[in-house]
Amino acid sequence: MTLIGVWVVELGLFVLVVAALLAERPIALGATVAAIGIVAVVARSSARVWRWVTTSFLTHRTGALAGAAVLALVLPFFLRASPYWTFIATMALMYVTIGQGLNFQMGTAGVINLAGAAFAGLGGYTVGLLTVRLGFPPWLGLLIGPLIAVAVGALLFIPILKVRGHYLALVTIAFGFIFNILMNNLEFTGGPQGIKNIPTLRLFGYAFTTPPQLLGMTLPSHANFYYAALVMAALVTWLAWRLYNSWVGLTLNTLRDDEIAAKCSGVSVARYKLLAFSIGNFFIGLGGAFYAVMVGFVSPPDFDFGYSLVMVSVIILGGLDSIPGIILGACLLIPLPERFRFLHEYRLLLYGAAIVLMLLFRPRGLWPATVRRYGLREPAASFGAAGGLR
Amino acid sequence: MPPLEVILQQAFNGLMLGVMYALIAVGFTLFFGVLDVIHFSHGDIFTLGAFAGLSLTFLWAAVGIGNPAVALLLTFLGALVLTGLIGVVAERACVKPLAKAPPLMTLLATLSLGLVIREAVLIFYPRGADPKPFPAMLPGGLFEIGGVVIRYENLAILAIGGAAMVLVDLIINRTRIGASMRAVAQDAEAAQMMGVNLDRTVDFTFFLGSALAAVAGILNGLYYSEIHFIMGIMGGVIGFSAAAIGGLGNVYGAILGGLLFGVLQTLAAAFIPRGSEFRDVVAFAVVMVFMVFKPTGILGEKTVERV
Repeated sequence: MTLIGVWVVELGLFVLVVAALLAERPIALGATVAAIGIVAVVARSSARVWRWVTTSFLTHRTGALAGAAVLALVLPFFLRASPYWTFIATMALMYVTIGQGLNFQMGTAGVINLAGAAFAGLGGYTVGLLTVRLGFPPWLGLLIGPLIAVAVGALLFIPILKVRGHYLALVTIAFGFIFNILMNNLEFTGGPQGIKNIPTLRLFGYAFTTPPQLLGMTLPSHANFYYAALVMAALVTWLAWRLYNSWVGLTLNTLRDDEIAAKCSGVSVARYKLLAFSIGNFFIGLGGAFYAVMVGFVSPPDFDFGYSLVMVSVIILGGLDSIPGIILGACLLIPLPERFRFLHEYRLLLYGAAIVLMLLFRPRGLWPATVRRYGLREPAASFGAAGGLR
Repeated sequence: MPPLEVILQQAFNGLMLGVMYALIAVGFTLFFGVLDVIHFSHGDIFTLGAFAGLSLTFLWAAVGIGNPAVALLLTFLGALVLTGLIGVVAERACVKPLAKAPPLMTLLATLSLGLVIREAVLIFYPRGADPKPFPAMLPGGLFEIGGVVIRYENLAILAIGGAAMVLVDLIINRTRIGASMRAVAQDAEAAQMMGVNLDRTVDFTFFLGSALAAVAGILNGLYYSEIHFIMGIMGGVIGFSAAAIGGLGNVYGAILGGLLFGVLQTLAAAFIPRGSEFRDVVAFAVVMVFMVFKPTGILGEKTVERV
């Protein structure tokens, strides 16, 4: 019975969000946004409602996830009138991918990385160079791009291991700047113009620029990328979830909280930091490579320091070390400024102010990471029997 | 190998940049000394200093202060006080409340505050996106020693920057508030037990550091005769690099690091093919290599390993 309630809640939210996205007139927009706001306030202010929502979502996790998946799958059908919003939804999914990577580094392992845009750029530029200059097929570029990000990250790792805290921030910021200046000035990367005409993705002879026909409806061609991004984001999130709930995740948390104590417990700091950094860079590079394939060109301003800050805002807003929080953060932070175009000029200002306020008043984010509950998921489960990792 | 005069000339030019970097770096190092934080919006405080200076020059022109020396002095004083106060506000709003939080939090909060300041200048300063011409207020003319051309305005920049540094040194080492700063830097709790007012000391430190950034900002405007809202990003990153090269918490290290960074950048621009485009790459690469071999800077960080 509660399962149906869960689905009703999800469907209701979905309808409100789609309505808010598609609302043309300011009045309609205002009404839908106000409705979302009222729902949120009511849900949070009434302890009973909130407890009912959280417990029923927790008890029916599989059902809730399935419902969310169905809604994510049908979203392009509702947005089919507007290729633009399909594109924005795809961008949000891309930021989910990148956010999971960055969160694995900063949230789980505590390895500060303020060069997220540079690692995304490494993925993107690799795709551009391989396809345009060397004639590789894009899907191969999409696979190699993240590996290049990992490889360059490993080179950067020597200074990263040596330094700590503030100095680490400096090293990554310096790396981000070096990347941007090099891309701007090297000839083979196209300088300020970047690399244009990256061929579009083709899988088994199906070009991603053809508008897909699904269930008798024609969707905008961006829907192809939407579904690809959905698969990518879901896979990456699932991987991040598995990693987080494994010994690797636990070890990285230990490392983050107290490096000396971790060392005393026999954790190889260098190996685990490198592992976290590489996995994170793989996801970030994958996001960047996907961006290159989707948009068809890359240029230095797409990967400058400002975007590194946007990536960091996603994980701070959502909640450091909280995997569902990252999804929430990306799905809020990317579409919101697009929806309120009149705020566009103030976009970065508001991002900055939002992070400052979050850090001051809600430092654990909108969807804070919860305490790990190994084997205690079911109430009164015997610890010994369910002691394995879930 | 280029002739010696050319190298000397470039080194002298680098010194000019180095003085500005050093002034920013001293701020970073002072803040780290008293609160153990990196105040990342410091670069944008530097931008604010420059814009405050620019606005004041217009004000003085409007009220009819014709004498360039008086106008310059008033510009410096006004911008110093204004920027210093803004620095204190930034500290109260964003740094102090997070002082006990993990360093990552302060770092992100101040980075974001920097973003806010930068965007605010862009949006609210009239035509903020364009580079603003900065009036020339220093005497023109030049002379030559041993093949090295020296402009009077460059000497003036060196003199102003040097005077500011000497002044800071005197404040830190010879005054009561300076003694409080040193005490807090060593051990904040012990200092409080000896009757040091922690809040006031921290406020003063941020005032002093931000005022120095204002000096750097105005000097930057006078040197390039142009300021831009975006200059704080590079200014901040370079200032932080300089402070880190010298050893965070060490004022002399910061000055040394700033000068080193400026000279390095200029020499790279002059003697490496296409160096002007890659000068920052070279400088940052050196910083990174430096971090590997000397992770706590030339003169060493003020640090206690707490287990």
